[in-house]
This record gives sequence, C-alpha cells and structure tokens, in this order.
Amino acid sequence: MALELDTLSEAELAAKTEALAAWMRANAPVAIGYSGGVDSAFLAVVARRTLGAEGALAIIGRSASYPEVQWATAREVAQRFDVPVLELDTAELDDPRYAANPNNRCYYCKTELWSKLVPAARARGFDTIIDGTNADDLGDWRPGAQAAREHGVASPLAALGFSKGHVRLASRALELPTWQQPSSPCLSSRVPYGTEVTSERLRQIERAEAALRRLGVEGDLRVRYHDELARVELARAELAGWMEPARLAMLRDAVSEAGFARVAVDLRGFRSGSLNVLHGVTPA
Amino acid sequence: MTPDEPRGDRSGRNASALAAAIAELGIPCALEARGGLALLLPTSEGVAALQVDETRRAVLALAKQHGFTHVAIELPNDRRKSSTPPTDAPLPSD
Repeated sequence: MALELDTLSEAELAAKTEALAAWMRANAPVAIGYSGGVDSAFLAVVARRTLGAEGALAIIGRSASYPEVQWATAREVAQRFDVPVLELDTAELDDPRYAANPNNRCYYCKTELWSKLVPAARARGFDTIIDGTNADDLGDWRPGAQAAREHGVASPLAALGFSKGHVRLASRALELPTWQQPSSPCLSSRVPYGTEVTSERLRQIERAEAALRRLGVEGDLRVRYHDELARVELARAELAGWMEPARLAMLRDAVSEAGFARVAVDLRGFRSGSLNVLHGVTPA
Repeated sequence: MTPDEPRGDRSGRNASALAAAIAELGIPCALEARGGLALLLPTSEGVAALQVDETRRAVLALAKQHGFTHVAIELPNDRRKSSTPPTDAPLPSD
C-alpha cells in the first residue's frame, strides 16, 4: 500500500514525539477521544507511555456509524499497549438534524460524542480531553472541529504540527500496528449529503466493505452510497489490479450480496472527501 | 437555450458529448449522468480497454473537460440480466 510518509529524520521525529509527551505531562491527566484510528491510537499510546495507566484514559464512543472492524482494532491496540479504555454509547442517529445528513452533519455527531465523553472524563478526574485532529485536517472541511472547540477539546497533534505522515512515521517507530492502517472515517461519510443516514444503510455499506476486504481488497476503500447504486472507490495502487473483468465480477458479486442492486467502480479510485467534491462543498 | 447551443446543463456538464468523446477513444458506452458523476455502461470490450491506466486517465480527463467530477463504470449484473424480459417484449422508449 502506498502511504504518504512525510520525510523526517530520526532525530526530528524523536523531537516531535518528545514535544507531544511534554505537552501530555503539562496537561496530565489526559483523556483521549479514541476510535482506534491512526491518530487517536498514536495519542493513546503516547499518553499511556508518558503518563502511566493512571494518567491516560482512552474513551470510545460506540454508535451505528462506528465500523465494527474499527472497534475491534481499538480494543486490540488498547489491550496490547495496556491503555485503559472506557466505552460509551452515543446516539447521533437519533438526532434528526444528523440523520437528515446536511453538509455539517459531523458537527451534530461530534456534539453528541463530546457531550457524553467530556462529562464522563471529568467525572473520573480527567480535565484535559484531546482528539486526533492533525495538522493536515486543518485545511479540510471539518465541521466536527467546531463541536470539539465548543466542548473545550484540545488537538495537540495539530497544535504541534503533526501531519498525517508524521503520525504514521512516529507510530511505526513505536511499533503501533496502526501505522499503515488506512484512514477510517465513520460510515456516514459514504452517504451523500441530503440522503438520510439510517442504521440500515450504514449496515449495508459496512457489509459491502467487509465483503470486499474478505476478497482481498487492501488500502483505502470506500463504498459510496447512491441509493440503489454502490460506487466503489479503491486505493489507486489497487485499482489497476482489480480492473481485470473476472476480478471486477468478484467485486460486483460481493457488493451485490450486501444489498445493492447496481455496482460501479470509480475510475479515479479513492479520494478523501469524494462526496464533498461531488456535491460542490470542496473544489475538485 | 437556443437550438444552436451545445446540449448541457447549467453546470456545463454535457453527457452526450462526453459519451461521444469516450466512444472516439474506442470505448462505446451508454452514459448516465447523476449530478457530477458520469456513470458509464461500457461493453465488455470497453471494460477490457479500461484495464489500461492510460485509457482510464484519458477518460477521466475527458470527463473533467465536460464538467464531471467523478467517473465510474457500472458492472453489469449477469444474474439480473437473466430476469430481463424476453427479446420480443416492448422496448423502453429510451
């Protein structure tokens, strides 16, 4: 899988990670909004190593938009690195403003997440709550960041200039299994703005993506929901290998089995924020 | 729009012109426009042609020229085909 790993010398990388550890010490104890993704896993492990088990708490918000496979990774990483975990249920789909799927949907999701997570952390003595927003995210369309600010959530990776590539490099140095894991936003990111988000649709998308993984699809992968049509975005490095007719038929059958009447493969391949572009929220 | 103006919507997208341009690459296909998504329904020969990276890049460039941000190929479902009406059934008007 081709990853964007920013160039950084070993000494620079160590200095950057130490700056993060120093930030943690200055703000201890620290609770992390934890999904098991590349960024939050890195934060959780650095917090645990820096502050000990008493000073770090990884909090998972579980809901229908959180992929099961991601949940499994989150628990696996926490167990391996002895990170204390708290799991909470969140219910963003019960909020009609979220379910209607406006282009600031993430704001309502994160409002629900932080309104449950922040009090739970504070009740356990964790006044500093952090998320995995990195420096690359700052230039993207991220309405969820506003909810984090409103709840006093800090973003030390962004503040310290960690790009996604830096996080991957530093994670590799710490032997985190997530260092080469594809980015994994919530399942609702596969549903175009204006199309209602329902549990049933999210499960359909999740089934399709899981089936494609079982076929051997690696790297970034999204099954974009277009009503009866699933549009599959494969990592660009993977795309050429799947364009052979027999393999395309395998993709089609796997996605059809998940409940889509029509299946298409995107010729450009995976694009972060693809639906934002399709709907003119961000430029092509 | 006057009859002399090119066919297309306010976004500048022109599905029929794009289908014609892709056919000139040797990939005859039906094209369904879904907003900024051009959904191609190529023949099996067309699918085979799209295995070539350069051809896919050419199709993407054409789509961009014609106002589309996304291009995908639909993978025909043979099982679905088997339940289609017999050939002597009335054809849809379009």
